[in-house]
Amino acid sequence: MAHTRRDFLKTTAAAGAGALSGTLGFPMVSRAQARTVVIWWNRGYYKEEDEAMIKIAQEFEKAKNVKVDISFTIQEDLLKKIIAAIQARRVPDCAFCFYNDWEVMPNYAWQDKLAETTDVINELKPRYNEKFLQVAYVYNNVAKKRAYYGVPIEAQIMHIHYWRDLLKEVGMADEPEKIPLKWNDYWDYWKKAQDALRKKDPAKYGKLYGIGMTESTRGSDTIYNFEMALLSFGGQLLDPDGKVIADQPKNREAIVKAIAWFAELYNSGYVPPDAINWSDGDNNANFHSKSIVMTPNPSLSIPAAQFFQSPDNYFNKMATVEWPDNPGGGKASYMVAVKTILLPKDGKNTDLAKEFVRFVLEPNRFAEYIKGANGRWFPAFTDVAKDPFFAKGQAGKGGPVDYHIPLATKLYLERNVKVFDHWKSPANSQVYAENIWGKAMARTNVDKWPADKAADEAINRMKTIFTQWR
Amino acid sequence: MANAVARGRGFNGRLLGRSLSTAAGALNPTARNLYGYLFSLPLIVLFLAFVVYPLYFEATQAFDRYTYEVLFSDPIYVQTVVNTIVYVGIAVNTKLFLALLLSGVLQADTRGVRFLSAIFLLPWAIPVLPGILSIRWMLSSQWGIMNLIMEDLGFGSVHWLASRWMAIGALIVFHIWKYLPFWTVIFLAGRRGIPRELYEATAIDGAGGLQNFRYVTFPMLKGLYLICTLLSMVFTLGDFTNVWLLTGGAPGDSTHVLATLAYRYTFLMGKIDWGVGVFATALPVTLLFIFILIKKIK
Repeated sequence: MAHTRRDFLKTTAAAGAGALSGTLGFPMVSRAQARTVVIWWNRGYYKEEDEAMIKIAQEFEKAKNVKVDISFTIQEDLLKKIIAAIQARRVPDCAFCFYNDWEVMPNYAWQDKLAETTDVINELKPRYNEKFLQVAYVYNNVAKKRAYYGVPIEAQIMHIHYWRDLLKEVGMADEPEKIPLKWNDYWDYWKKAQDALRKKDPAKYGKLYGIGMTESTRGSDTIYNFEMALLSFGGQLLDPDGKVIADQPKNREAIVKAIAWFAELYNSGYVPPDAINWSDGDNNANFHSKSIVMTPNPSLSIPAAQFFQSPDNYFNKMATVEWPDNPGGGKASYMVAVKTILLPKDGKNTDLAKEFVRFVLEPNRFAEYIKGANGRWFPAFTDVAKDPFFAKGQAGKGGPVDYHIPLATKLYLERNVKVFDHWKSPANSQVYAENIWGKAMARTNVDKWPADKAADEAINRMKTIFTQWR
Repeated sequence: MANAVARGRGFNGRLLGRSLSTAAGALNPTARNLYGYLFSLPLIVLFLAFVVYPLYFEATQAFDRYTYEVLFSDPIYVQTVVNTIVYVGIAVNTKLFLALLLSGVLQADTRGVRFLSAIFLLPWAIPVLPGILSIRWMLSSQWGIMNLIMEDLGFGSVHWLASRWMAIGALIVFHIWKYLPFWTVIFLAGRRGIPRELYEATAIDGAGGLQNFRYVTFPMLKGLYLICTLLSMVFTLGDFTNVWLLTGGAPGDSTHVLATLAYRYTFLMGKIDWGVGVFATALPVTLLFIFILIKKIK
């Protein structure tokens, strides 16, 4: 049977048209069958977190007769994915990324690209730890108003971890309550430990450092370290309305003192030289390999990792202590980052996504999820925070006393805590993203600038960012 | 039998040729153009989607004065431009000059040189990631082998990646180590294309190795050398991987090149327009290189 080229073209055209109409028709049928809520969730550090969230998603599917399309992505990739999705207007209905509070929410609420969540917040308000709530109260530059554009769920705070066995080895007091908390005594303690260990066994400890202080532009830990030190020296960067006050004499003086202090610490040889290149995981890695005696870290990731790898280390060989008292006296104030769920405005099922968020945050369900993180996060809800887990930690699961989680709980509940200022202005998100304080540290540590010059450059940069913001 | 097959092929070929010419002749020019467009449609659609649209998007983002006000007021941008010029200028030129010289050594056809050539090509064959991780390990201030050697020799340890120019130096050395073999092979091929008669003629005139290089080899290779330089500059100008993996812009964002800075703006700060702006400022230079390159090739 002859088959001419014209026949072939006709057949192809007909098949193409059929396929096209089939493709266009398919989603309509699918949409009619079941509503789907698309969730992008930050992959947890432990499988228990992800498993708990998958279980919640399955329960939600059954309870609401809907489909939950949930995917887990590591935080660095998820940040890029969310930014690209919002720009391209092909978004999920709900996104939870550990970077939302710092970089995504202030920026995209300003641009009116996030759904308002005031209704959800108002319902949950009686349960909230109010200190954490303002993180989501951001400005919409299109609607010209401040409102809630996210749902805060869990927080992280600054802790100092140290190796008890290293202190013990050189006869220094290793119990957390015996670590001196006065500013100078505190930092000198770790320097003394380095000197003593190097002297005792140069072959083993010749490259060990006392203080694992991240001072780089690559690590967000640097921002915590700087802002903690700034609070200790009594400085502020923004006023309550989000205006830059870093250049006011009192604040400038505190900034200079903080930068000079970081420079002294680094240049005196008690901080690993590569700490100015560290990313967020590097102080963890150095701590785990015992090449540093102590390290400040804004989550409990270090002890949590040891809990799984070596319960003996977790319970007996390491401990967590407070940031020292302010140089001028008084207990330290703590910077807190509160991790937040977002609902992009272009989401197809925003109402369903809000239902999902409410469902996740029901006390028992959320407690199960957050405990899966093994104490890495602290709940933003007072009822969940009352769970005995946060008071006792892992006690009884390999040792009688947990020296980590209960201390963190004490910091959240008993110390003065302050959420990061990105909620006041999205320009401050850029200040964080540029890590201008890490840059100032590099100026003193690498370029050998005096602290006041480095501070002035950073303050001017901050003012420029705020002036240019639109 | 063989003839029959050949005859068969000839018959089929003639038949096909005739049918095509008949088909083409049967269509009027408009219909023929229509078919041409129809069959080109997939390529046109792909071209529009993946070349024209991204360029259009970049252009719309790039023509915003605000972007450039922001970029030029950022001290890191200015520092980055300097870094890029230093990186591309020194790394590419040193690498190609060395490649030109080494290609002369590798041209010698002895067993030892053949063995050396195989070893010499290894860096090119090693994937970038393990290569860079090895270098980072070697340059670690605390545990790196370089400092171990320095200390054993009594020089004390050096903070290789903790100062701007040391880190850029390390980057340049890595670039040369990694890509030197590739360009050496290119020049080797170029050298093999030079007629031997020319060297025989200079030998009769009593020319030595240096004179051979000056009056025969280099004049014959200079077109290739220029093309290689331009190509390598275009590649290196857009180099993201090496810089990001080796320094990540550290210390203090002082070792960024344009590609890593654009990434930082776009993905770490969520400022796509600034990222596009960074590339837009490099575009005139890239286009100039490409223009010269195309002229040279023609």
